[in-house]
Amino acid sequence: MLPANLLLRSCVLFLGIFYVADSLRLISQVDAAESDRIVRAESQFASEIKPLLQARCYDCHANGSHEGGVSLDEIDTEHLLSDQKLWARMLRMVRADMMPPDGESLNREEKLLLAGFVKRDILDLSPDSLDPGSVTIRRLNRSEYRNTIRDLLNFDFKVEENFPVDDSGHGFDNIANVQTLSPILLEKYIAAASTIVDQVVPKIRWIEPQTIIAGKSFTVNEGSAKASDDSLRMSYYDTARASAVHLIDISGNYRLAIQLSLGEQYVDNVFDYNKCEFTCLLDGEIISKEEFSRENDKKRQIEFDRWLEAGEHKIEVLVKPTTSEDKVRDLRLEVRRVQITGPFGDEYLVHPKGYEVVFAESIPESPDEQRAYMRRLLEPFASRAFRRPVDSAYLDRLVEFAIANSLQPNANFESGYAAGLVAILSSPRFLFLEEQPSEVVLEANHSAAPEQEIKALDDYALASRLSYFLWSSMPDDQLIRLASEGKLRSNLVPQVDRMLKDWRSDAFNKNFVGQWLRSRDIETANVNASATLARDAEPDPDAERARDRFRELRRKNPDELSAEEKTEMDAMRAKFLNGFRRFREFELDYSLRNAMRQETEMMFDYVIDENRSLLELIDADYTFLNERLARHYNIDGVQGREMRRVELAEDSPRGGILTQGTFLIVTSNPDRTSPVKRGLFVLENLLGTPPPPPPPNIPSLEDSLDGRDPKSLSLRETLEIHRQDAACAGCHNRMDPLGLGLENFNALGMWREKERSDVIQPEGTLITGESFATVQQLKSILKEDRREQFFSTVSEKMLTYALGRGLEPYDIETVDRIVERLEQANGASKELIYAIVESAPFGYTRTDAPDS
Amino acid sequence: MTFARRTFLRGLGASIALPSLVSLRPVTAANAARPLAITKTGAPLRTAFVYFPNGAIPAAWWPEGDEQSFQFGQTLAPLQSFRDDIQILKGLEHKSAEGGPDGGGDHARGNGTFLTGVRLKKSATDLHAGTSIDQVLAKRVGDQTRFASLELTCDAIRQSGECDSGYACAYQFNLAWSSPTTPVAPEASPRLVFERLFGEGNPGERWSNMQMRRQQQRSILDFVMEDARDMNRRLSVNDQLKLDQYLSGLRDLELRLDRAEKFGEVQDPGVATPTMTPLSYADHVDLMFEMLALAFQTDSTRISTLMLAHDGSNRSFSDIGVVEGHHDLSHHQNKEDRVAKVAEIDLWYTRRLANFLKRMKETEDVDGNSLLDNSMIVYGSGNADGNRHTHSDLPVVLAGGGGGTLRPGRYVKNTMGPMTNLYLGLAQRLGVEDLTSFGDSNDVLNSI
Repeated sequence: MLPANLLLRSCVLFLGIFYVADSLRLISQVDAAESDRIVRAESQFASEIKPLLQARCYDCHANGSHEGGVSLDEIDTEHLLSDQKLWARMLRMVRADMMPPDGESLNREEKLLLAGFVKRDILDLSPDSLDPGSVTIRRLNRSEYRNTIRDLLNFDFKVEENFPVDDSGHGFDNIANVQTLSPILLEKYIAAASTIVDQVVPKIRWIEPQTIIAGKSFTVNEGSAKASDDSLRMSYYDTARASAVHLIDISGNYRLAIQLSLGEQYVDNVFDYNKCEFTCLLDGEIISKEEFSRENDKKRQIEFDRWLEAGEHKIEVLVKPTTSEDKVRDLRLEVRRVQITGPFGDEYLVHPKGYEVVFAESIPESPDEQRAYMRRLLEPFASRAFRRPVDSAYLDRLVEFAIANSLQPNANFESGYAAGLVAILSSPRFLFLEEQPSEVVLEANHSAAPEQEIKALDDYALASRLSYFLWSSMPDDQLIRLASEGKLRSNLVPQVDRMLKDWRSDAFNKNFVGQWLRSRDIETANVNASATLARDAEPDPDAERARDRFRELRRKNPDELSAEEKTEMDAMRAKFLNGFRRFREFELDYSLRNAMRQETEMMFDYVIDENRSLLELIDADYTFLNERLARHYNIDGVQGREMRRVELAEDSPRGGILTQGTFLIVTSNPDRTSPVKRGLFVLENLLGTPPPPPPPNIPSLEDSLDGRDPKSLSLRETLEIHRQDAACAGCHNRMDPLGLGLENFNALGMWREKERSDVIQPEGTLITGESFATVQQLKSILKEDRREQFFSTVSEKMLTYALGRGLEPYDIETVDRIVERLEQANGASKELIYAIVESAPFGYTRTDAPDS
Repeated sequence: MTFARRTFLRGLGASIALPSLVSLRPVTAANAARPLAITKTGAPLRTAFVYFPNGAIPAAWWPEGDEQSFQFGQTLAPLQSFRDDIQILKGLEHKSAEGGPDGGGDHARGNGTFLTGVRLKKSATDLHAGTSIDQVLAKRVGDQTRFASLELTCDAIRQSGECDSGYACAYQFNLAWSSPTTPVAPEASPRLVFERLFGEGNPGERWSNMQMRRQQQRSILDFVMEDARDMNRRLSVNDQLKLDQYLSGLRDLELRLDRAEKFGEVQDPGVATPTMTPLSYADHVDLMFEMLALAFQTDSTRISTLMLAHDGSNRSFSDIGVVEGHHDLSHHQNKEDRVAKVAEIDLWYTRRLANFLKRMKETEDVDGNSLLDNSMIVYGSGNADGNRHTHSDLPVVLAGGGGGTLRPGRYVKNTMGPMTNLYLGLAQRLGVEDLTSFGDSNDVLNSI
């Protein structure tokens, strides 16, 4: 890592790169420097790069062949040299040995030559001049909103039920450029602010004391009543009696409210005409007696006022059936609770629960003092909510707003304060992460680049970047304190260590790993166990016929089915159900999904916590299991529900994310594996070389079948035929071997030797030339031969997530330097996080110069 | 059918008082010049666009026969009882959804082009489509109702990771676009739709809750507006574009509050609010259709979109014995069994549509006609043949009588032309006659 001061100098140096091609500016220094660069690039291109391309790339990318839409000889040099994206892509493919394909890759010197040319001559980057780029102002996404409200107000707001799903880009849902804020979402933010504040700010100052006797604290004295967690449950059909004893401390006037709910089990087209008599007694005196018939889930409240002497009092409830009609709807009467309010009288009033937490001082009388107290309350809150000290102009306005609200009819100081909080939580300063560059304006050579300059972010912005990166939430007091003292930038590493130890860093795992490795999706992935397992068994024509027949009947209008057909369907349903039962233990139920998600998350957690090599994510001799998941994986010796680290047997194919349920399942179809999707996942998320999307007009399979029956082909054969088509081969040669190598894991992530009657053959050769015969060998190729690509990909993914923006060609140097650090640390996971938070784009920004 | 949904759906319809005849309402400046979205008989004229995913098996979808005397194919068979209320439209296409220079991404394009009729910008972050037809219409007729438009979806969950072939996910999960760069996120929760239409809380409390909510909103509006302007001054040009969405959202909210005051008390349907999460997909779809019917019945809006599932959806339908994923199956390579299964899924969707049409037909509107008579419901997909990703001869059904302006009961074989021509035809019927071109349109479709 470049020390900050060196970086600052380099930023100044680097200002020369901004080049406005179409500008009509007079020739200035920058143009001179720029034209020097072009001359240098052109000569470098002619003398070294072009010969290299001619020798190694022209076969497929010149003289009329333009595979993948890339043609390297057709365009003139000037055009070629200005196409930064093309060069960046070329460098990526060459470094990954994807190009030239089939093990013909460039040697180390050639790669260095090309990298140097692309970085220095095309992009004008060097380790001394990094372009941090800039991040568009970002809005809190759903999970950030939820966590921020939790840390700000100690309140859990259910975002999933109230806000729409966030759009994602570059694989993550925190990317500013794809976030939108529709009018409806804004309305929801304002509604959420009111809902949250209503829950956390008590607006009533004094209330009568209240106590609750829960339904469950009743004792059943007679009959079959049942006191459960949330109520005392009694039936319409049986006599029952229950009672509760309550101690009154002060003699006085009280109000008792008995809350009932009258429920039933709905049954179509039948009614239940039974009735019961409900009696309530207080110390033996009948307070209320009422007859209930079927009440359609109604709630009832029986209220009465009484003078109660200090001492014990007995409340009794009694149910008696008064009819004997057919019992078809399970009519029931539940006593939810008894609420006792009192004693009445001004001297007994109390503050509502939690009041003192919000209003620690008693509300002053005089308007001036009220205003001052309001300010003392709002200032720290607004500063925390906005993640930086609030300016006095805003605060003045806010206090006036709150006071004005407190003077409205039916309002008070408390509701005025609540209105202030609603305004804060609806503010764009809360909803958006507003970043300010530090006040120290870096020395910028304005004559060189009048339109833009590089600035360090101020410490508060840096605190938010850190906290939303590692916690998906607001900075805590310590981060804000360091920011206010200007000490955060020099304490990044210890702060990262502290933050990773904090439980809030679970969010980093859930959101970053959850999206990068898609472990989040396991919760909703849809794989059918019986269909998947049927595929692993020998073909069963009878079962297939039955399924076809079932679907045939299902297609008919249900009203037109004959009686025999209905019986036939019912019989088949029952049979299927039996089949499902057989497969039930492999069905993706909640606990299995949860165990799988945890396996991936705990693995990542472990690698980070212990600062182990990131390569263990690809291949490790341990994993995390509980009994259920171990059984699913066919691993012995794990008992109990608790997830724990398990050492794997030496010959076990498991270990690493490619052998975990999460990856294996989320890349599968509902009834079968998809080697293509698995291969694509590896290329995209582990090797950073996603193939281009499929071309339009994919040729149909029949055209390549030469009369063979498509049903008789295995997946491997089908893909082979697919690859015979040149239009498909380019990309499928990259994806298929990776996916086919993992075919021993079925769509549920279970190990298998066969599909139907065919023995699975995992062996293959990667496009980069390495051959493997087993999953274990495939993993070690990825871990050893593809190590650099993996480091670079995980760096790119994490940097994208940390910044909230997609990476651009000018980020190549930043990523290279992160990878270099990671290499030097032997892949130690924490080094990656340190390198990211100390990188130029994380701590600096390119901004518009004032008055440009 | 689940218990909660049944209790919810029961008791609806009959209990709702009809909105007054539009012609009896005070004439406002907006509708004085030319009646918009109103039938000749003075009833509201509603328009909905319902999207189903991944196209349909053409052989099973298209009827046999000619315009008047035709036989329904397998997929549309459930619509037989609505023969005189629907027309099946052949010969509509979305050229801009074809790959061309943009290559793969037919699901993103099928979806994003469906109501916009433009070529989408192929980018993961830099959104650019077009204003969608529902939003164009909503801008013109929206001030007649409490909500200018209503955007609904049955896609409650999204996968992580990249979406289709380098296209931003927004193209695939939104039908409505209020501007070429602003998708209108649809609502997936029946409860939230219901609360938006009628207010929160139990029957009887909703109106006062809604008023309270509005008062709160109104009270902070000016304050946060100034707050946002203040912040705007500190931002770069790029950031200002983002904050602009906030500012225009505030202005929009202000307008809606004004409008809500103008329309006065909202009638309470008198039933419990639907539950948060429907148990099955079928329940979810039925409930969302019910929300749409309710919104139309109470004249809360006259323009709506409903996405049953995004294009590319890989849902499986084990309740009808199809365990494979829909998208995976749709690339059926002409294997017989896979084709049959896709057709069964297509049929599943049609059955849901039929339920909705039944509800619309059985509900009487203010003028004594049915709600369906006074509606124009476009039901279609942005892919034609899911196997080959074609976008010509899109499967489209136009249901409803359009207040007497449509000629249902036919199988209309148009000469191949842009889908957007249909949208112009609908616009004309709403009284938006000066809309003469939209997206890639080249004519007004008059055959409907």
